[in-house]
Amino acid sequence: MELPEEIKNAAQALGSSLRQDNMVRAYLEAVEEFMADPEARQLEEQLYTIYNALVARQASGEQLSREDTQPFYELRRQVQTHPLISRRENELRLIRPYLADLADEISVFLGTDYTALARSE
Amino acid sequence: MDIQLNPMPSPASEKADPRQAARSLGKLLRQMQEYDTFLKALQAINTDAMVQKLAVQMRAHQNALQWGRDGDGQHAVELARLEQEIEALPVVQEYRQAEAQIRQIFLAVDEIISREAGVAFAANAKRSGCCG
Repeated sequence: MELPEEIKNAAQALGSSLRQDNMVRAYLEAVEEFMADPEARQLEEQLYTIYNALVARQASGEQLSREDTQPFYELRRQVQTHPLISRRENELRLIRPYLADLADEISVFLGTDYTALARSE
Repeated sequence: MDIQLNPMPSPASEKADPRQAARSLGKLLRQMQEYDTFLKALQAINTDAMVQKLAVQMRAHQNALQWGRDGDGQHAVELARLEQEIEALPVVQEYRQAEAQIRQIFLAVDEIISREAGVAFAANAKRSGCCG
């Protein structure tokens, strides 16, 4: 569905004002630093690959042993303590309450929760 | 004396206020015909006697399931049947249709916000269910 022009403009205005915000900029800088580091990216990709493989095995009815899950937990620890990844996650944690406040501003006009309607189920 | 050569900032150098931008967007979304249809459909299911009756019955079975009181599986069976019954009501089908349309619109709006901001907006703006 094609959105009315004024809605598109208003959404763009909100998005670009957010991008200019100092807190969001700090997060985007952290994302940029993470993206510029192939080792950090590879570590995270590897974590998702292992996670998805384990979930698929579990979904097919396989009982996973400690030996099966141990590499995942070890890798997850590495990912969580990686300086660039933890910085990115920390910056994201810091902006979440602010984003929630802004979504509340929208919800006040709607009379319903914007975030509930604007996310895939 | 400190003389400002350019006391009026140019529009490009002005920082837009995200709160004001959010309010403007909320106001425009509220004025959409599709949103009005959604609100009316929502109000219709909230005031429909049959929907409310079935919802009360469903909650009783949901509670039983939540507290592990479904040894013979009857609560689960009855809950599934009631879900089917409620979803088949014309008033609920109209609501589902209006909801699907408004979700599509809001998803498109959120995609624009997120793309411009560089961060997924609604997904990160959701408040957690508990404590904040």
